[in-house]
Amino acid sequence: MSDKTEVNLTGVKQSKGVWLVKVPKYLSQQWDKATEKGEVGKITIGKKQGKTEVRFSLDEELTALGDVGEKDASLQVPRDHSFTMHTVDGQTMAVFSQSSADEISLEGMVVHRAECRPVVSDNYMKLKKLQIKASTKPQRLSQQLERAVTTVFKPVANHDFNVEHEKKKKSEGKMVRAERQVVLDMLFSAFEKHQYYNIKDLVDITKQPVTYLKEIMREIGTYNSKGAHQSTWELKPEYRHYQSAEEEEMQTD
Amino acid sequence: MTSLGGSSSSATEYTVRVPKNTSKKYNIMAFNSGDRVNCSTWTQARMERDMSARRIYGEEESAEGAAGSEFGKKHREEARRKKYGIVTREFKGEDQPWILKVNGKAGKRFRGLKKGGVTENASYYIFTQCPDGAFEAFPVHGWYNFTPQFKHRTLTAEEAEEEWGRRNKVVNHFSIMLQRRFREQERGGEDDDDENEKSGKKKKKGGGRGGDLRIHDLEEDLEMSSDDSDSSMGDDGEGKTKAKKATGKGKAKKKKRKSSDKEALEDSDDGDYEGLEVDYMSDESSSSDEELEKGKSSKGEHHPKGIDEASESEEESEEEKQNEEEAKDEEEEEEEGKKTPVQPEKKKKKDSSGESESSDDSDIEGETASALFMKKRTPPKRGGRGSAGSSRTGSRPGTPSIDSASTSNTLSAAASKLEQGKRPTLGPSTDSPAAKRLKMEPSSQSPVPSGKSTPQPPSGKSTPSSSDVQLTEEAVRRYLIRKPMTTKDLLKKFQTKRTGLSSEQTVNVLAQILKRLNPERKNVNDKMHFYLTE
Repeated sequence: MSDKTEVNLTGVKQSKGVWLVKVPKYLSQQWDKATEKGEVGKITIGKKQGKTEVRFSLDEELTALGDVGEKDASLQVPRDHSFTMHTVDGQTMAVFSQSSADEISLEGMVVHRAECRPVVSDNYMKLKKLQIKASTKPQRLSQQLERAVTTVFKPVANHDFNVEHEKKKKSEGKMVRAERQVVLDMLFSAFEKHQYYNIKDLVDITKQPVTYLKEIMREIGTYNSKGAHQSTWELKPEYRHYQSAEEEEMQTD
Repeated sequence: MTSLGGSSSSATEYTVRVPKNTSKKYNIMAFNSGDRVNCSTWTQARMERDMSARRIYGEEESAEGAAGSEFGKKHREEARRKKYGIVTREFKGEDQPWILKVNGKAGKRFRGLKKGGVTENASYYIFTQCPDGAFEAFPVHGWYNFTPQFKHRTLTAEEAEEEWGRRNKVVNHFSIMLQRRFREQERGGEDDDDENEKSGKKKKKGGGRGGDLRIHDLEEDLEMSSDDSDSSMGDDGEGKTKAKKATGKGKAKKKKRKSSDKEALEDSDDGDYEGLEVDYMSDESSSSDEELEKGKSSKGEHHPKGIDEASESEEESEEEKQNEEEAKDEEEEEEEGKKTPVQPEKKKKKDSSGESESSDDSDIEGETASALFMKKRTPPKRGGRGSAGSSRTGSRPGTPSIDSASTSNTLSAAASKLEQGKRPTLGPSTDSPAAKRLKMEPSSQSPVPSGKSTPQPPSGKSTPSSSDVQLTEEAVRRYLIRKPMTTKDLLKKFQTKRTGLSSEQTVNVLAQILKRLNPERKNVNDKMHFYLTE
């Protein structure tokens, strides 16, 4: 559980009022391209015939869709937007910020909600058309091929992987039965690490033939045919002692 | 900032900046306006993530190494999941809800759940105005809806089931109160009952009113008759229910349920008393004449009323309580012109009549007489009993003595029932006015059966017909056996008005009695309670 962070309430105490503005995606994308200074445009708040009007105009440089610096005439983000203001009666909204150091501070209360809407222009319509086209494109596409693909699979007498495997087997040869004691030591040290083992894994670890190994296991361990650890071998209770140091406790032949 | 002067408009221009280097992530904390949250009133706040979902999400680490683990288990599990295409959702710390605690431990708690889909199609920005007049816009990273969290007392499963079972039962508060009052009287105390006490501060007021003014005896009669029939358990339960209502004790719930079961059966024959004219009676001076009159009038009007009532009740078998209430209302209205103020009062206080507490000997006798009458009335109404009823009715004037005898039997019976919590023979119960639907067992014809059901005169509880409040060891013992009480409760029981002792005297006598009784002590809710076990 993370520690409780004391919330810095200075913002709220000062009754800082903020606006919550909903901005279209393309506009926020353009804003991301802004320079270090961060200026993206201008807001004009005026009163027109008694009504408050808020307008936003995007900076010239940021109007180009695509990389900054290019001026592609066909793809231009509209410059003029208007903010429609709403009150926040239905909800009490506050803004809190979380810094990278996990410090939380309450920045202020939302006093107005606004939506940023572009002033409709041909440019905007074109932009929207492109967007719609892009979004309606299916993500998966069926494509017809003219010729069959022949590069991937070739018929082979014996696969590479298989060949290697056989070579390995030959080089290793059959597993030799080591001394019983040696095997037991190996087993005990293995069982120190884990309680349940598959016979295959034990063969892997001890490099002993299966029958021999099974014989030994039958002596010192039990086989779980049912239950949580199915088809695994574990040491007999008298041989295991998982709390304290296993070495001393485990008996040998 | 440039100001543009326009003819009809004035506008100010501000630059908008979107700072690039903010390490801070801005989020919205939204409250419902109905919760009336005012952030400026917060003195202190703490916030943390609610990580309780982590364990649900599996990151469960089974024992690693040594005991309990398998070799290669993890790999196998992974391979298995891949094979079946199981995609487990990660536990993302970022998306966990917030817990906001305001003003320390005693303050409010809020839980903030992340609202999804906020940043998918449109971006939200926070515009703040800087001192230099320019606006700064910060993108909103996440939106959390905060709701207040309360520490309500929640019911356990059993309690919830109980409550659910009770929801369909219409609780007949009127007869509850009647029965309780009757029981109180029986216990030889015109003392306020436990239940009375507890249920009522309301009742207390009613009681107070009753002390001075008794609206009419019928309720007492009703009480008594109903009480006879009611099981002591039921009564207890009812009383306790009342208590519970007032004091919020939970233990009575079960009892209440039982009692309400019985309640349902014992609908009071309120309609029986419709049209009965009863004068206001004061504490001391109720005369048997009044009783007689009442009895007669009630008798006279009973039958038609009974029939009506019967039909009524048959119609609304489910709403017997309602009926009762209505009947009672009518009754009261007819009887006294002053019903209206009294009634709502009564209803509110769930007091069938306010006068339960105060009854004198004579009153009791008279009441029981009427009660007995009422019982008799029920038989004809039911059409099942008949015999004893008519004979009794005729002998009204002569019956008081008999009645009192049987009354005492009844009282003791009821008292003993209370004591032992046994369900009495249904006879008496049916007789009670509360029994609207029951085809009363034949045994329930007269009060005598209630005498029959008295085979267990409670040892210490010879409830004499005297209804005086006596601050006796007996009385105290009774109370303490019944339930643990504090000294304060005991004092309340033996009100100075009733016992005729001054408060000091009461205290002294009570102290002596307690010394003699030497009850066991138990601490409940930080208060010392006494109780006796027998």
